[in-house]
Amino acid sequence: MASEQDLVVGTVRDILAGHEPFVLTADTAWDAGLWADLAGAGLTGVGLPEEAGGSGGELADAVAVVRTLAAGAGAVPVAEQLLAAGPALLAADLDLPDPTAPLTLAVAGAVTAEPSDDGDGPGRWTLTGTATDVAWAGVARHVAVLAGAPAGIEGAVLALVDAEGLATSDARNLAGEPRGSLVLGGAPASGALLTPAGAGQVRARYALARAVQMAAALEQVLAWTVQYAGERHQFGRPLGRFQAVQVQLAQMAGEVTAVTALVDAAVQTLARDEDVVLAAAAAKVRAGAAVEVVARLAHQVHGAIGFTQEHRLHHLTRRLWSWREEAGSELTWSRVLGVGLLAQGGDGLWPALTRVV
Amino acid sequence: MSSPLTLAPAPPSEAAEEVRAQVRQFLAEELAAGTFTTHVDTWLSGVDPAFSRKLGERGWLGMTWPREYGGHERSAMERYAVTEELLAAGAPVAAHWIADRQSGPNLLRYGTEAQRREILPRIAAGECFFVIGMSEPDSGSDLASIRTKAVRDAGGDWVVTGAKVWTSNAHLSHYGIVLVRTSAADPADRHAGLSQLLVDLSLPGITINPIRILDGGHHFNEVVFDEVVVPGDMLLGEEGAGWHQVTAELAFERSGPERFLSTYPLLAEFARRACDTGDAAQLGALGRLSARLLALRQLSLRIAAALDRGELPDIPAALVKDVGTTFEADVVDEIRRVVEVVPSLDSPDPLGRALAEAQLHAPGYTLRGGTNEILRGIVARGLGLR
Repeated sequence: MASEQDLVVGTVRDILAGHEPFVLTADTAWDAGLWADLAGAGLTGVGLPEEAGGSGGELADAVAVVRTLAAGAGAVPVAEQLLAAGPALLAADLDLPDPTAPLTLAVAGAVTAEPSDDGDGPGRWTLTGTATDVAWAGVARHVAVLAGAPAGIEGAVLALVDAEGLATSDARNLAGEPRGSLVLGGAPASGALLTPAGAGQVRARYALARAVQMAAALEQVLAWTVQYAGERHQFGRPLGRFQAVQVQLAQMAGEVTAVTALVDAAVQTLARDEDVVLAAAAAKVRAGAAVEVVARLAHQVHGAIGFTQEHRLHHLTRRLWSWREEAGSELTWSRVLGVGLLAQGGDGLWPALTRVV
Repeated sequence: MSSPLTLAPAPPSEAAEEVRAQVRQFLAEELAAGTFTTHVDTWLSGVDPAFSRKLGERGWLGMTWPREYGGHERSAMERYAVTEELLAAGAPVAAHWIADRQSGPNLLRYGTEAQRREILPRIAAGECFFVIGMSEPDSGSDLASIRTKAVRDAGGDWVVTGAKVWTSNAHLSHYGIVLVRTSAADPADRHAGLSQLLVDLSLPGITINPIRILDGGHHFNEVVFDEVVVPGDMLLGEEGAGWHQVTAELAFERSGPERFLSTYPLLAEFARRACDTGDAAQLGALGRLSARLLALRQLSLRIAAALDRGELPDIPAALVKDVGTTFEADVVDEIRRVVEVVPSLDSPDPLGRALAEAQLHAPGYTLRGGTNEILRGIVARGLGLR
């Protein structure tokens, strides 16, 4: 990463050093202490403009924060807040809630929005239905809900919902991160109608946020595995001296390097304010494909100890196995990419490919 | 991750996009005029000297070399765009490919002034073709074990005896850069005593025997040297520095878009099918393969940018080639899984023909230019494991 982000990376690392990752359960669903320290340092508003209540800085700074936290398995909704929900609210001209309180995004096709006349002026909507698989449900204080538009209107409604008092189910992903449902019972909320393309950008940003997290976690898993292969001795020499193990580590490095290159390029596309749907789709799909190889080989090289909760490896591999299907599954984004690349017809694949990133 | 495998992102290049558009236009016109038809793996099998000359006329060969040697002083990023467009169109580029990609840069780096002035302008014009003289019948991955030897005679000339194999299109080429043993093998330093010679393939004593690949195509050859007298001034670079020079050459050989686009024409044909059928499984497969291809493009672009910075990224190049050639072969299998199609060179279905070409060439992708096993060893060294 560019050296301009070294300072922010260093700050996040210092904070992370005081917060070892732990096994998430229903009772300890997130790392509230880590969040408090990050918020205290202004890191939960990085990349969000100061005039909107954020800490300022560029997209690259926000990406650096998210990457560092992902590599450290920080159990906090920072990716959702800095790269998905926050920018989506701002793009829709909606108010950003106080960034010291956690914010998440719910892509909720089963929730419908109807215009509300609750007397609080225009831009008020009533949301009804259940948002499922909501990242950090029960943890996030606010939720940006991407809901279905009223019947007969194209697009979607993005509304900012106060999560306090909402009924929440306790579902968690493979790493124990909260992924429950939120029942929206018709409370009015401020929102904005998005075009189908605008809604597509919100979904794509969310997918890219997960891809950024995956890239960082994949790099860390590779680094841990290379380190372990150098430390663990069998037959009188380090594992990394065995050619069979070297081949596995080289394959992992190939996957990780490919993911990083594409995710970085997709982030650049976003930074240039270009349409990011296909770039995000490609980054998410590529990162997900790498998880298959990298997580499998990392566990193989780590042996039985990596299969236990005592060892740190699971903090990232379990997240990776879930993240690849979140913010739109790998299958969904594969099809989005395939369809999108054929938008100019069956002969147009190559020009389309050279335009994606 | 900070390691020799990490390269900075490539900066955007407007010049590259400009030349890309020109090449794309040229290729569309040539295809419409019927000067060539699209095939898979044309950088091995698509030989058309007239087409190579056309590229030379347009300034698309020797692009990065100094003008005084016939080059065009353009960036590696611009060259990347040109080569990528040619490969994506399945254009016949095999005649000049090796000369433009690695022999020319090798001459530029190590050649004498006379060698550069004599040969580089002809390569850039698309009139002079090269072969790689590295592998031998008994030396494949273990390149340092080569036995072709060159001995100085009384007049200072080199007398070369031995044989080289897998020399692509030697029967149509003018020169080879041949790795030879110029002093006896030293068990303590296996890489010592090797040198590179610039060999005119029309010299007496050279016999070129065809070796046919799986589809019957004649691209490979065995080149036999029977006491061939090579003029003394045809030593390339330093005597004894052959191993080092070959390593540098391989950074050019391993990192380009031909390491992931050999089967692109098959993918393009598959895209037409997926567009026609609208089949969800096909669209998903197209998306998955495209995501892999897009990542490879970014990796290869990063290497082109590193070359522009004057670096010699040999370890990342090995990594790109490993990941890229694995992808080339996977294209065949991913497509088979989602389309009802029978591979045949005689198929009335263009997808069936492309699949047949790609399948019959597939074993080569992960062998040529260094097997993926060798490449992974290089990557492991980059990870600090060796």
